[in-house]
Amino acid sequence: MTTAVLEEPRVGDGDLAGLVATLTERAVRARRLVVDMAASPRGCHLGGSLSVLDILIAALHRASAGDGTEVVLSKGHAAAGLYAALHVSGVLPENPAPLYGLAGHPYTGHPGPKVPGVRFPTGSLGHGVPYAAGWALSQRLRGRHGLGVAVAGDGELQEGLVWETCQVAAAQQLGNFVLVVDRNGGQNDGMVADISPLPRLAERFAAFGFDVTEADGHDLRALTDLLAEDRSAARKPLAVVADTVKGKGVRAVEGKPGCHYVTIDQARAAKWKRAIR
Amino acid sequence: MSLTDERAGVLPAGVPETASGDAAGALAGERPQGTAGARPGLRAGTRPVASADERTVVSADGGPVVSADERPLAPAGPAPLTDERPLAPAGPAPLTDERPDAPAGPAPLTDQRPVTLSGRDAYRDELTRLAASDDTIVCLEADLGGKGHPFQAAHPERFLNLGIAEGAMVDMAAGLAAGGHKPFVSTFAPFAALRAAESLKLTLGYLAAGVTVVAPYAGVSGAWFGTTHHCLEDLAILRSVPGVTIAAPYGDTEMRAVVREAVRSGRPHYIRTGRNATYESLPALGDELPLVNWEFRAGPEDVCLVSVGEEGTRLALAARRAVPGTAHAHLVYLDHEHLTEAAAELARHHARFVVVEEHRGQGGVAEALALLLPSCRVTSVSADRSWPSQGGDHEEVMAALGLDLPAVLEALDRASTTSTASAGRPTN
Repeated sequence: MTTAVLEEPRVGDGDLAGLVATLTERAVRARRLVVDMAASPRGCHLGGSLSVLDILIAALHRASAGDGTEVVLSKGHAAAGLYAALHVSGVLPENPAPLYGLAGHPYTGHPGPKVPGVRFPTGSLGHGVPYAAGWALSQRLRGRHGLGVAVAGDGELQEGLVWETCQVAAAQQLGNFVLVVDRNGGQNDGMVADISPLPRLAERFAAFGFDVTEADGHDLRALTDLLAEDRSAARKPLAVVADTVKGKGVRAVEGKPGCHYVTIDQARAAKWKRAIR
Repeated sequence: MSLTDERAGVLPAGVPETASGDAAGALAGERPQGTAGARPGLRAGTRPVASADERTVVSADGGPVVSADERPLAPAGPAPLTDERPLAPAGPAPLTDERPDAPAGPAPLTDQRPVTLSGRDAYRDELTRLAASDDTIVCLEADLGGKGHPFQAAHPERFLNLGIAEGAMVDMAAGLAAGGHKPFVSTFAPFAALRAAESLKLTLGYLAAGVTVVAPYAGVSGAWFGTTHHCLEDLAILRSVPGVTIAAPYGDTEMRAVVREAVRSGRPHYIRTGRNATYESLPALGDELPLVNWEFRAGPEDVCLVSVGEEGTRLALAARRAVPGTAHAHLVYLDHEHLTEAAAELARHHARFVVVEEHRGQGGVAEALALLLPSCRVTSVSADRSWPSQGGDHEEVMAALGLDLPAVLEALDRASTTSTASAGRPTN
């Protein structure tokens, strides 16, 4: 996800508020696209797609700098969110919403490398984290400063591969590896806290040898600042534990575990889209 | 079908007690074996290599040393029989699966090449050599590369021991490949092919990433280390993943050629090899390995041995010493695409085949050839469906699975007595 088509406003070139406004406008458009995909015959993973959108938009903005930063959505079930974010960020030229889940088009329920801007197949949870770590390692070996950014769900952290990779990334001092956790508190069968809780998550990453930051996962200014960091001299990977709301932006479903996978009709979609601000 | 050792000590009809090279016995290592009263070739075939001198490797300083496989089975003092490194080795080298400590300084790269190396050592040596002129090659290990890895000595910045993390290693290799590198990852076959199976499916298959997985300890070369360290299922898994080039080279020369091809092609590879055993290479055939390496083609009515992998080939060579004149075709590449072409060539010359492979029958090469050659008769000498639960050396564990020379000879005998009418005719 390194190709930018749109003119990207840059922090430092002047108007931080303008940048945030641009990213906010993208987030609104992307949320409406996600709702459109929920209104497709297939439905989509609505809750997680909406919770992760701001993170993806901020990360894609970072990647647009062309420094070799790669963003990997490890929680691949949020494919609808990814497709929408790629589109509004200018990486994916065509509007994926009308094509989502259809034969002859690459917009499957979990993303694969046939989608412009997607390098790795994700959906089987955990794999995106080492993909991004490997990318970061490649950048470092080449003397480049790009980041490998993995965006994982909090439920996904139940996968052993995530922690296996954290162990490796810390041992290899991959300072340009960033793991952003979309902590929306939900997973397929219910709440993370009820199924397999993750207490003291920030401390866990710190114990592995990560730099750790907790953030509001819907604060585009904060996320942009965090991801703009020059980590070329860092020796510790960075974990960003981003608190989010499942279903963020659609009041009818916000915070409800039942919005994990949703299929709605066109009338409801229209209503929800009008309410997204 | 896996054949057992029911005929041990019984010679097949018409087999002379002393084998002699036939018209095509040009393979190095082919030599008369038999001793009166003993099954020809049996004892000679019970070692991974044909003679002691073939197992001699040369240390970096030019002096002969013995490979780890040749060390006395009962060295003085306790020898840790685990796959863990001894914490403080002292005295004679322990019988672990780790390499001897390497000499200080870079390994010799080309002209000082030892006469023959085990598959994994040949891989390491060849990759180290290639990386000198290709800075995109990176070498990843998961704590089973041993001390003194030559790549580490020669290119320390591109050698990464990621620790005991096979799945992360394969996935990170995908990330490295996406970044323009040529990652070679290695860990024991059971951990590569089974523990990291999903990563192989995604990285080697779906992504078609230019990642090479080198998997020693395939089959039961782990022997007394036990079933956790055996891998009789890897071909079944990898053969079902489209797009993966699968190789099981026999001997130093083939391994080096396969590694060179993996670097050159940039295609995903799975390379299967054993532990420390060395094998005298087949005659050099240039850099491009043939689809079918014919040691000997007999008449169209004759049964043809098809050898796969290190031990399958060793057994086939031993069987040929026991039954001179037996046709023998050796296969290096075992993925569906290569096998499809190889099968067509096999069927141009023979109609009955005995496939020898150190793998379960299910999902192995014999099954594949049987499907590819419906008009031919394909018999399998392969591991049966049991779990080896006792110790023993490599050959003893193989024998417990029905994989030994008597089994090959019996399969040959049975196939030879099969009516050709029921075996189809060579197609040409």
